[in-house]
Amino acid sequence: MSRQKRSKNAPRTGSLKTVSIPIKGSTLLDVENLTVTFPTVRGPVDVVKDSSFRIDPGKTLGIVGESGSGKSMTSLAIMGLLPEGGEASGRIRFFGHDLLDRSDREMRRVRGDKIAMIFQDPLSSLNPYYTVGVQIAEAYRAHRGGSKAAAKKVAVDAMRRVKIADPEQRVDHYPHQFSGGMRQRIMIAMALCLEPDLVIADEPTTALDVTVQAQILDLMKELQEETGTGMLFITHDLAVVSEVADEVLVMKGGETMEHGTAEEIFSNPQSSYTTALLDAVPRITDVVGDIKGVSHE
Amino acid sequence: MLFYILKRVAAGAIVLFLITVFTYTVFFVLSPDPAYMICGKTCTPDRIADIHEKLGLDKPFWEQIWIFISGLFVGREYGEGVNAVHCTAPCLGYSFQTSQSVFEMIVQRLPVSATLAVGAAVLWLLAGIGGGLIGAVKKGTWWDRGIMVVALSGISLPNYFVALALQYILVVKLKWLPFPTAVPFADDPLQWFQAYIMPWFVLAFMYAAMYTRLVRANVIDTLGQGFIRTARAKGLDPNIVMGKHALRPALTPALTLFGMDFAALLGGALITETVFGLNGVGKLTADSITQNDQPVIMAVTLLAAALVVVANIVVDLLYSVLDPRVRVKAQ
Amino acid sequence: MSAPASELAGGTRKGALSTLDSGSAPNPVKRVVAALRSTPSVVVSFGWIIFIVVLALAAPLLEQITGISPYAYHENAIDPALGGLPLGQWGGVSAEHWFGVEPGSGRDIFMRIAYGAQVSLTIAVAATIVTTTLGVVFGMLAGFFGGVLDQLVSRLMDFLMAFPALIFMIALLSALPAGNRPLLLVIVLSIFAWPYTARVVRGQTMSLRNGEFVESARASGASPARIAFKEILPNLRGTIIVLSTLSVPQYIGTEAALSFLGVGVIPPTPSWGQMIASSVAWYAVDPMYFVIPGLFLFFTVLSFTVVGDHLQRQLDEGDAA
Repeated sequence: MSRQKRSKNAPRTGSLKTVSIPIKGSTLLDVENLTVTFPTVRGPVDVVKDSSFRIDPGKTLGIVGESGSGKSMTSLAIMGLLPEGGEASGRIRFFGHDLLDRSDREMRRVRGDKIAMIFQDPLSSLNPYYTVGVQIAEAYRAHRGGSKAAAKKVAVDAMRRVKIADPEQRVDHYPHQFSGGMRQRIMIAMALCLEPDLVIADEPTTALDVTVQAQILDLMKELQEETGTGMLFITHDLAVVSEVADEVLVMKGGETMEHGTAEEIFSNPQSSYTTALLDAVPRITDVVGDIKGVSHE
Repeated sequence: MLFYILKRVAAGAIVLFLITVFTYTVFFVLSPDPAYMICGKTCTPDRIADIHEKLGLDKPFWEQIWIFISGLFVGREYGEGVNAVHCTAPCLGYSFQTSQSVFEMIVQRLPVSATLAVGAAVLWLLAGIGGGLIGAVKKGTWWDRGIMVVALSGISLPNYFVALALQYILVVKLKWLPFPTAVPFADDPLQWFQAYIMPWFVLAFMYAAMYTRLVRANVIDTLGQGFIRTARAKGLDPNIVMGKHALRPALTPALTLFGMDFAALLGGALITETVFGLNGVGKLTADSITQNDQPVIMAVTLLAAALVVVANIVVDLLYSVLDPRVRVKAQ
Repeated sequence: MSAPASELAGGTRKGALSTLDSGSAPNPVKRVVAALRSTPSVVVSFGWIIFIVVLALAAPLLEQITGISPYAYHENAIDPALGGLPLGQWGGVSAEHWFGVEPGSGRDIFMRIAYGAQVSLTIAVAATIVTTTLGVVFGMLAGFFGGVLDQLVSRLMDFLMAFPALIFMIALLSALPAGNRPLLLVIVLSIFAWPYTARVVRGQTMSLRNGEFVESARASGASPARIAFKEILPNLRGTIIVLSTLSVPQYIGTEAALSFLGVGVIPPTPSWGQMIASSVAWYAVDPMYFVIPGLFLFFTVLSFTVVGDHLQRQLDEGDAA
């Protein structure tokens, strides 16, 4: 676990229990001048440089970049889960409360409950030794308590919401008994069962087939509309981002290349890097539209 | 599942059969003629032929194998007519040295080997899992380095050297322990304990060193897995992340390995028993080899092989219980 | 070594082999050099290995210079009144006998250690060469061609690995006629140990066989033999180096144990394990007699293990990067 650097004179904004109570005029997530630093043999390296963005409830920000652009480190910094040695500085305000200012213990109450995360590879992200039901339910129990039976019911409901057929049976199955797309649905069920205010999705569709990708994206959009959570969607795929994002931030080598509404970025890119990325992508939006019509999982 | 078990048992039986044939070939066909062993220097060709007939060595090779194997299940006769000796199943023959039933000899020695194996196993599991966990959790600290240095020494020190050094220090120099003489627990618990404590430690030290390295590597490997990150992202307590999500995947391979190591030790810790003069199966093996007591060598080799084969099956079944991924495939 | 043999020769097998089962290493030679520079424990271990090798090679030369034969009895160095205990402190350490003399016979321990190093290293290195060759050949055949050949090799490996190797090695060695003991030891060690190398090589060959560069070589019409030797073998180099480095200490340990049990190298040829065996009768009165060969054995096995572990770490890190 990383020791996150805390800005020394940051005001202590409210106590632990009030993290979810918004400070007046604050927004869901407001990241200001976030810099993530890792020590290397050749001295410290900034993998994220001075990044700033905000996400409003119900909205989706897409962070686009190639691998090594710092997009995943941004999400891990928000979760307080930077790999060993990593240090984050700047401000990460969640409803006005600076998350970099929280102890690890306090962050644990935020993780899973207020901010949930969906990872790229659903197979390695699920523990092979426990049933999916146990893994969905344990987040619920850790934050809300209650009996095992009650938690299992929550898991079944969550699986039903992500449209897994026969959830009463499937809840007792192990991750390897599901297909890739179904596993990602389970990850989504796990992330959403506590109705978090913010979902961070780190390349949630990259490991999936194109047809399954489209289904998962549809599901995520649908659930977001239902619950009104904000979303931080991280991907290297501009086509995917065009499907889901309201705002887009383009990163390269830890630096923000461009930041604007999805419309602005796609119709009128300002940075030459974004133009290059856009040129590299065929009109996938059309393709995805076609595929949706025939897709069955 | 039943089919899977039957398949494994059948495969194990084939391995044991091959080992029997192989061992029999080496010790009764290629080795110096056992008849000379039995009748000594004053041997006449008649006497040799007599012994051959009695042991069945005059018969064709495959018939000998058949008699040996059927002897294990239904017993066999040595000699014919009034002089015949019936050896009841499981018949492993009679020692050339003492004329004792080999099966009885092994049964007599097993408790000593079992006592040694159980005591050492408790010690090495505690030390190995504990050491490996501490090393992994405190990776890179002086704790970790210290543990790894001890573990590295443990796998590099020959156990007979550790045994000698320990005896020299504890018995000769410091006189904390009397010279070890094994007695049954019921006779004198203290002396029993004093006789076993050093062998336990010597065996456990070596295995603990191996397990420490293994457990540490497995735990570090597991902690880097995606599902650990998921567990943290769920906001779980670090103790639950470690105890529930990391330990089971990290320890399952070690536990199955333990089954194999433990079974092998039941077949006798040859060196440790010899050095400490413990009368277990291992010492029996060593003695039978020096005395060229072929029926005994044959029997202990088969016992050791059978233990390994059985442990292999048990461990695989255990694995299929402990690891859900294997469980489904096996069904 | 197999599970039954692990009472004496376990050690590096598990951790070493499990992590090696996947991945390969580009350009291991450069990494070897870098590996040896970076950490002091590795440098010290490497230094000790060089020392032992030089000692082994220079043993006949030392014998000529000092005029002390490892077989010569020095009755003036022992005390017949005390049953043949060495005269003087520390097991008879003196300017003439650097590590003292053997109780009973008065043979020079230093010279026996030097010649013992020769025997130990020769057997261990020869067995490593044989097992590595067998392991690579069978492992590659099984992994590359698969099918029936793979089935045959795999079953043979299963059979050998299920064998109670230590007991059988001892029994076999005691049953075989004396003959050339070191050669017999190499053969017996190799029979039971090559599957451990082959298993790893097989796994890696199987994953390499489906790699892109092999596909492209195949597409360009390369023969299977050419693919095996030009495409796959170079990629196994790192693994082979690590496996052989870690084999050496195991064979040194096993040879010593077999000699300790009296079925390995037979007297008067010196061997470290055999020296410890003969010290058992004297350990209470002349501890130096078992401490010296024991420490030589310990440091040598430790050094090879440290170097091997280090090479493996480098290999793993190279893969991860």
